[in-house]
Amino acid sequence: MSNYKNWKDLVKSAFADFGRNKTRTALTSLGITIGVLSVVLLIALGLGLKNYINQQFESLGANLVMVMPGNAFSSEGGGMRSMGTSFMGITFTEQDYLALNRIGDIDYLTPMFIKSGVVEANNKQKTGYIEGGNEDMPKLMGLEMIIGEFFTKADVQSRSKKVVLGYTLAETLFGDPKDAYGKSVNVDNQRYRVIGVTDKKGDPDMDDALLMPYKTTFGTINPDKTFYAIYAGISSKDKVSQVKEEMKQTLLKKYKKDEFSVVEQTEILDTINQIFGVINAVLVAIGSISLLVGGIGIMNIMYATVTERTKEIGIRRAIGATQKDIMMQFLAESVTLSILGGILGLLIAALLV
Amino acid sequence: MLLKLQNVYKTYNLGEEGVHAVEDVSLDIKEKEFVSILGTSGSGKSTLMYLIGLLEQPTSGKIFLEGKDVSKLSDNQLSLIRNNTVGFIFQQFNLISKFTVLENIMMPAGYSKGKLDFDPKIRALELLKRFKMLERKDFFPNKISGGQQQRVAIARALLMKPKLILADEPTGNLDSKTGEEILKLLEELNKEEKVTIILVTHDREIAKRTKRQIYIKDGLIVDKYI
Repeated sequence: MSNYKNWKDLVKSAFADFGRNKTRTALTSLGITIGVLSVVLLIALGLGLKNYINQQFESLGANLVMVMPGNAFSSEGGGMRSMGTSFMGITFTEQDYLALNRIGDIDYLTPMFIKSGVVEANNKQKTGYIEGGNEDMPKLMGLEMIIGEFFTKADVQSRSKKVVLGYTLAETLFGDPKDAYGKSVNVDNQRYRVIGVTDKKGDPDMDDALLMPYKTTFGTINPDKTFYAIYAGISSKDKVSQVKEEMKQTLLKKYKKDEFSVVEQTEILDTINQIFGVINAVLVAIGSISLLVGGIGIMNIMYATVTERTKEIGIRRAIGATQKDIMMQFLAESVTLSILGGILGLLIAALLV
Repeated sequence: MLLKLQNVYKTYNLGEEGVHAVEDVSLDIKEKEFVSILGTSGSGKSTLMYLIGLLEQPTSGKIFLEGKDVSKLSDNQLSLIRNNTVGFIFQQFNLISKFTVLENIMMPAGYSKGKLDFDPKIRALELLKRFKMLERKDFFPNKISGGQQQRVAIARALLMKPKLILADEPTGNLDSKTGEEILKLLEELNKEEKVTIILVTHDREIAKRTKRQIYIKDGLIVDKYI
């Protein structure tokens, strides 16, 4: 049993018919085009968001362990209730940092302070993030300097008014970020000297940051002398879980079990990936609905076409077409229309994404 | 005997009552015959033609084509016989407007299921040459005259070297001069190609051109045309 010659002929015949009904063809495949486009765009949106978040985490150093309030991302807790407490929970003190600093296998450790504030320089001003930490910050957060250097342990201890600017902040205030080197900036009417500028990270937390020694923040910027987190870096992967346990024990002397959590960034990543998995599924489902509607559109038009073309069907039957041949012809047209619409949707999506 | 109809009925169900479009028709048509079926509109001559052309199946009775009972065949088998044994010519020409003259003529080859013993394109071009229409081969049907369209339709009917050609009012849409040309062409084909032609018409003058006339009235074969 052969069909109307072969698929090539069927598709050629389908195209001949499209040429005669350009408007109808365009409108029919438009449904599929929009359907495919929305599926692709929604998937791209979901994946892009997920990649962005993953990148932010990857830009932090390896084997990073974070001490955070609440039990937001811990594997036993989780869920929305604990998410809430993480914003309202405890804050850490310098004593906590110093206590953790006594643990042997931690290679880098910094307390983390963050607050938004207006940075003024060069008669310009910009709202950025005032962040306090110590000399280990570049190692823990993967910061590279494009000019100057990071503040030292001595700078931290002496509460020196030396700051490091993020790339975007320096660019906004000074034009060329490198020009910021050696200049002074004002925060809360206090004058600080810029001793370095970090390279672009693509993360507003870092690119718009003004980094200063944590002890320097203890004046007007951080009068309560508190930290929202403490970051620890452990070089040896094998020791991570042991060190985490030691950190927990240290903190348990002061806090209750569910008041804080000690998490690796990979745990946070897992939770986030789970959330994005669900979001993606929802987005694909929404996109599929428009694809389904497009498909129904083609079904409708083909149904109308069959009625419209009874004469042509009659002629083809008279010269020897079987019912199957006729069905294949209309099927070929629908499939070609769908594929055309789909390819067009993909092309538009490729241009947009 | 090329074609034999035995007590053929075709009944359409209109509401509760069945209507006999064709009633108890028996007839024989010999090979190479040129015969006309004459009847007014509504006489059942179109239904009879569809039955002979295997586009419709009889409600009862038997149809034999080349001695073979074709009244109970499947759609695939009937389509195959239509494709390689029967050629149709219609009043409305019935060319497909989106295809060129040559593509229209070659269409039946596209539905042939076996291997052909000839090249359909060469045969199509030969037929066009014979009908003096070779230079029109790439024209679309709406760009050529009615007489030319009917010649293309005849070429399409002849492509698969059929035994039987069914012509339904082939001159009905043509002026008398062009109609005459088409009739002459059919006579010529009957003589030279040895193809059986059944001419279905309501026109007594046209029917006279054939050697034998079959009269049909209210679905019945009658002796005289009234």
